[in-house]
Amino acid sequence: MAKKQLITVKVNGREREAAVEARLLLVHFIRESLQLTGTHIGCDTSHCGACTVVLNGKTVKSCTMFAVQADGGEILTVEGLASSAGQLHALQEGFKQEHGLQCGFCTPGMLMSSYALLHSNPNPSEEEIRWGISGNLCRCTGYQNIVSAVQHAAAKMAKAGSEANLAEGVAK
Amino acid sequence: MIYKTSPEIGGMGHSVKRKEDLRFIQGKGNYVDDVNLPGMVYGQVVRSPYAHARINSINTEKAKAVPGVLAVITGEDLAKANLAWMPTLSYDKQMVLATGKVLFQSQEVAFVVAEDRYIAADAAELVEVDYEELPVLVDPNKALDSGAPLVREDREQKNNHIFHWEVGNREATEQVFQSAEVRASVKAFFPRCHPAPLETCGCVADFSRATGRLTVYLTSQAPHAHRTVLALVGGIPENNIRVISPDIGGGFGNKVPVYPGYVCAVVASLTLGVPVKWIETRSENLQSTGFARDYHMMAEIASDRDGRMKALRVKTLADHGAFNATAQPTKFPAGLFSICTGSYEYAQAFCEVDGVYTNKAPGGVAYRCSFRVTEAAYLIERVVDVLALELKMDPAELRLKNFIPEDKFPYKSSLGWTYDSGNYEGAMKLALDRIGYQELRKEQAEKRKKGELMGIGISSFTEIVGAGPSHDFDILGIKMFDSCEIRVHPTGKAMARMGTKSQGQGHETTYAQIVAQELGIPAGDVTIEEGDTDTAPYGLGTYASRSTPTSGAATAVAARKIRDKAKKIAAYLLECNENDLEWEPGKFFVKGAPSKSKTIQDIAFAAYTNFPPGMEPGLEAVDYYDPPNLTFPFGTYICVVDIDQGTGEVKVRRFLAVDDCGNIINPMIVEGQIHGGLTEGLAIAFMQQIDYDESGNVQGGSFMDYLLPTAVETPHWETDKTCTPCPHHPFGAKGVGESPNVGSPAAFVNAVVDALSHLGVKHIDMPITPWKVWKVLQEKGVAA
Amino acid sequence: MALKIEKTFEVPEPVEKVWAFLSDPRMVATCVPGAQITAQVDEKTYKGAIKVKVGPSITDYTGEVQIVRLDTENHEIEILGKGQDVRGRGSASMKMTGTLRALDNSGTEVRSVSEIGVVGILAQMGSRVITEVSNIMFGEFTKNFQARLKEPSDDPAAPATGADVKPIKATAVAWQATKGLFRGKSESGS
Repeated sequence: MAKKQLITVKVNGREREAAVEARLLLVHFIRESLQLTGTHIGCDTSHCGACTVVLNGKTVKSCTMFAVQADGGEILTVEGLASSAGQLHALQEGFKQEHGLQCGFCTPGMLMSSYALLHSNPNPSEEEIRWGISGNLCRCTGYQNIVSAVQHAAAKMAKAGSEANLAEGVAK
Repeated sequence: MIYKTSPEIGGMGHSVKRKEDLRFIQGKGNYVDDVNLPGMVYGQVVRSPYAHARINSINTEKAKAVPGVLAVITGEDLAKANLAWMPTLSYDKQMVLATGKVLFQSQEVAFVVAEDRYIAADAAELVEVDYEELPVLVDPNKALDSGAPLVREDREQKNNHIFHWEVGNREATEQVFQSAEVRASVKAFFPRCHPAPLETCGCVADFSRATGRLTVYLTSQAPHAHRTVLALVGGIPENNIRVISPDIGGGFGNKVPVYPGYVCAVVASLTLGVPVKWIETRSENLQSTGFARDYHMMAEIASDRDGRMKALRVKTLADHGAFNATAQPTKFPAGLFSICTGSYEYAQAFCEVDGVYTNKAPGGVAYRCSFRVTEAAYLIERVVDVLALELKMDPAELRLKNFIPEDKFPYKSSLGWTYDSGNYEGAMKLALDRIGYQELRKEQAEKRKKGELMGIGISSFTEIVGAGPSHDFDILGIKMFDSCEIRVHPTGKAMARMGTKSQGQGHETTYAQIVAQELGIPAGDVTIEEGDTDTAPYGLGTYASRSTPTSGAATAVAARKIRDKAKKIAAYLLECNENDLEWEPGKFFVKGAPSKSKTIQDIAFAAYTNFPPGMEPGLEAVDYYDPPNLTFPFGTYICVVDIDQGTGEVKVRRFLAVDDCGNIINPMIVEGQIHGGLTEGLAIAFMQQIDYDESGNVQGGSFMDYLLPTAVETPHWETDKTCTPCPHHPFGAKGVGESPNVGSPAAFVNAVVDALSHLGVKHIDMPITPWKVWKVLQEKGVAA
Repeated sequence: MALKIEKTFEVPEPVEKVWAFLSDPRMVATCVPGAQITAQVDEKTYKGAIKVKVGPSITDYTGEVQIVRLDTENHEIEILGKGQDVRGRGSASMKMTGTLRALDNSGTEVRSVSEIGVVGILAQMGSRVITEVSNIMFGEFTKNFQARLKEPSDDPAAPATGADVKPIKATAVAWQATKGLFRGKSESGS
């Protein structure tokens, strides 16, 4: 039996601990050890992006990392996007409103890549969105409605942001 | 009569947001690889590195000795249970695990079962196979030569010829060609490509020793058909098999065949009594599962000098790989290829197809092809453009001159199909107008003077879907009807199940909309289920754009049966005669006294609590729909390209798709389908090919080489529509899923050729890579 | 998948000494990383084995090496090697022509033209990996060749390499492949 190492990772806000083989891929750790099956596997050459998660603030393709490399880190998966009360993230709303998914298999990866994109660029142009999700392949949608979904979310988040600022301003 | 429903009810024509989205956006989809059963183990296939080789021996001892390995199965083991071979969907047979020899690179040779997938992978590396290489056949044009390597030693017929199929009148067509004023021809190759849905194929086979039942979670577009095949192949009673297609991450025809991995997993589970999961990798998916196309085609048109087309002649060589594993209706070994007369009238036509074996992966019918319709539509739209060049005629004008006129429908083509309805001129004129065709031609003329390369490509396709009527269509003998079962609950909500299986088409929403349309029950109150063979009525599944034409029709018919019964209950409740009642979506009311009404919800409650004496209680219906004909969606696509003379890169500047699929259930969903299909067409036209070198090594066996467009390469798609209802469908719909992949490759290729036609270029085969274009530019002296 | 690779290098030794070495497959094998001649079948045919390690991936080929043509006067040798992966993952063949030319500085120019055919999983990687792995192996070969020529060369049976092969680093291959994209097809064939 291969030697196992104990790793600790914070996933969607919760500390998780597990004994894993050094060669266990991060995506298998997420899907099987943690039973978070929202993150998907779509290829074996790191091209498709279905396995995209956010690790320590940056998107990574979890199929191209070992779980041990995430030790001590913080991961956000698609299951962590909605609030703990179940309120959907603006991106999730956007994908639904704009028909940004069909079979749903690429969707978690798309959501995580878009999430990271909007964090670094809250008001992206269409071209910036397309580049931002160029690491995620989709066979069903042709990307057009995914772009609309991200734009929908960006507008919603901007509005919520300015409303929050307004409220703050009034409170002051 | 199609009633208008309110947005709250959400019947036909409403862009109702999808119900299935809720779980997908939260990462709570249930795909086969998400299935996790207690005691589950993992299988991995060991594959052949050779395209053609004899197996001298297989040594599994080292693999078996790895701790955590439960079994290593070979073809020899399966042969003992008569399972080394299995039937294909085309009445051929296919090796489950190789015995005797291997016939294509990546063919399944052994199956390792272990406690986790890493151990299975370790053990798979230790399986030792002693091969003796044999000469390889990869060129289908050589398959029928006398010295060609024989691929299939198991057949009685000792050659590589699978079938010859022809339709039309050879002699009469020949006569027309003899006297033709103009003849134009093209040799067009439709390369082997692969649908590559984002989710690969796989299954969890779970045989329970406690219940004697086999449950198979399967990536299947046709769960019932697969259940029947498993029963026939495995000898397990069909009532003890349950196939569950949960959420499917894209199908596009890739998930119609039965793959050796499935059979191995089932055998392993039966033997070990535990659930066995097998999920293939992307490389395995590209290299061994059902490929698409690989048609070497030749078309010739006989025309008069004014561009009136008279006859069409087509000859095709079909490369089927090592086994004929295409999913085809029995009578149609080349599928519906004889739709190759397209949107045009031909006094005479003749079409012949020969299928051959080669040392390549089996398959052929996949990738949104509508049973070979993609090949046919591409061919006719290419050769019509070649004729236009020959005649020095505008390609739009040539098409308009030859379209089947609207008043000739139903139209019987010279190759035997009765087209239901069409208005080709309407779609074409809308497209030309919206794209600004005349201005574009002017711009092209200006650019040509400056030595710039710009092209406009038109594709006016007619396709054929909705297989199909029982007198002509069956797969392995099972007729191609489909079904729907609806049950209305006392509180007025409903549940409906169908024999089809969505892989992203949005059935949970669109089928609910059909029920909403017919019964006035809000779509949000109707739950749709598909994919569990224990509960869903028997159907042939979802592919070839058949769901709306078959199950959609069954849903409407079943709903109407319910409405008929509801009317009787309403009459009873309103104490009047049935004939005094009128219907509007959601309620029956007395003619002339609209306040005397009963809603469908009132009626549903009454069906359980207060129904007429002597009437059977409850409110449900089943319909098995045998379509009277196929349906014929059509459209005109126009593509505008600019060619970079330095790199040979083709930039799609604009692409307009005008589609006509009859009456539409959900416009948002139809538009999404068009976007997706056009993107696949773009990929096929410009960047995809599964090729084999002379030793039979697969080139294009992973995403490193088999390219999928990203959001960056994919242009913005413009869509529009015309509506010519289907006269024989309950609500006039035709189906549309495959149209964009059927119609678009020709539009792309026609555009590129159009950009270069003034330099003498008549045809360029797909995939039109920058390298290919650059070579042409060099040759013609116009490279930057 | 067929690849043509041409390599030319110099050794500071006289041409006859180099020829004596080059015309004996048993001697040549001692310079190829991971290779060994295991038996001699007849005057022109030998049985051999080669272990190629790229990163964690190991391929063991066994097969035959045959001297197709030996032209002592013009110092030209043509050999044909064919091998199969022992685990049944593929096969490879190589036809190599080696030509010697005496140089003015009393050294020798060695020119080799190899045609390599690969069948199997490795071939799917295409010329990318195969060319770069070949380049790296050839680099090792040249080093070993020059070193062995310097040593007293009586014992043909002692392989310089064989059982403990230093694996070719996958990163080295990747780096070479990337560089190759930019330097163009200068030395290696395509």
